[in-house]
Amino acid sequence: MKATRQKGKSWQNCKVAVTGINARAENPGPGCAVARCIQEHPQFKGSIIGLGYDALDAGLYARHLCNNSYLIPYPSEGEEALLYRLAQIHRAEGLDAIIPCLDSELQNFGRLKSELQLMGISMLIPTRDQFNLRAKNHLRTFCESIDVHAPESKALSNPSFFDSCEKEGWKYPLIVKGLFYDAYVVHSAFEAKTIFAKLVSTWGYPVLVQKLVIGDELNLAAVGDGKGNMLGAVTMRKKALTEKGKAWAGVSIVDDGLTKVAEKIVGALSWRGPLEVEVIKGYDGKIYLIEINPRFPSWIYLSHAVGRNLPVAVLKLLSGATQLELSEPTSGTFFIRHAQELIVTLPEFETVLTEGRLAPQMVQDQIIRSA
Amino acid sequence: MEELLSRTGGKVPSRERLSQLAVSETGFIFDPQTGQSFSVNPTGLIVLDLLKRGSTLDVASNSLADRCGIPAEIASSSVEAFILQLGRYL
Repeated sequence: MKATRQKGKSWQNCKVAVTGINARAENPGPGCAVARCIQEHPQFKGSIIGLGYDALDAGLYARHLCNNSYLIPYPSEGEEALLYRLAQIHRAEGLDAIIPCLDSELQNFGRLKSELQLMGISMLIPTRDQFNLRAKNHLRTFCESIDVHAPESKALSNPSFFDSCEKEGWKYPLIVKGLFYDAYVVHSAFEAKTIFAKLVSTWGYPVLVQKLVIGDELNLAAVGDGKGNMLGAVTMRKKALTEKGKAWAGVSIVDDGLTKVAEKIVGALSWRGPLEVEVIKGYDGKIYLIEINPRFPSWIYLSHAVGRNLPVAVLKLLSGATQLELSEPTSGTFFIRHAQELIVTLPEFETVLTEGRLAPQMVQDQIIRSA
Repeated sequence: MEELLSRTGGKVPSRERLSQLAVSETGFIFDPQTGQSFSVNPTGLIVLDLLKRGSTLDVASNSLADRCGIPAEIASSSVEAFILQLGRYL
């Protein structure tokens, strides 16, 4: 196994692995944006290793973002399989840090934290308790404990709820959500039950149902230092949505009310690591907490654009830096997401499929020349 | 502004709220609190600029009347209508 991380190695020269590098236009993973934030920081001289789950994860082939890439086993294969694969990758690369970017993998990474630390790989991630307390099915209880508004919600294991819910005060339209991802607005029992079946087949039980709050959707990304402090909040309002309700365009804003809510959450949980707070600012002026995501959002590149590069802040915290050098919060910076084709050669695709890794560029060139 | 609020009962933006707005020379307005953007015409820009700088409704109305060559009463009612319209956006 590769030697443990050199003590005192600076964040600028570290080798960091990033997951969640799928980039489907309607719902991209955050990994490519995290990699981009780090790569584009002028002081970063290290390298980024992309960790993908599928040979069609675009980030695997994005050499401008990931210096090298590997496939890792799906979260459903468990932490043993993940540790085995990470040890292989570590032998080849000598990783210093990993930034997990997907909700569904965080529990496996959490269970491996000590083993990875012994190997010299550090991560800034929440503890299991922190992860569970902010989970969608516990959110309302958590909100009550910290005096934050949240829409009424219920965890369901039986779709018959949708036939009688209106009698119990659950008027359509309602929001139906998967345990980890996906949320749909439904307008009838028939529609709700169809979505329920779809979510169960994808994410399992329970399915969450939530009352719809009318207002503006705001999102805040930040990093918790594990001691109750929130660092570098960046707030965004969505300006255009994909079919899945993800931001296709957005603008940075400053909302003191949301910042206070997020500080309360981070303080109450002593949150450690990146997070995204999703709220609705109701037309009644109240802020309703919708979700706490335990990772960076896919729009995190905006943090680099407003001078609060949060993925770099994570690297700095992991290396023990005390000065994060974050700019003051600013508003009025827009982003517009766009889809782009990434050209992949046959040898590149082949090595990912057969060896679970992207052939280094030099090898690639030789393969192409000899073909 | 306060007397307009009590007289009309409409939503009147506070001076603090107005001072937060980013206003360009062309009348493009960005609200940093909500992320919304909209634009005002040249006369709206004159009034908004005056209000942001702390002018009273009377001063803003008189200034508009002078600069546009319109009767003071028309300027005054236009300023009031404009503020109430702003209130629906902010």
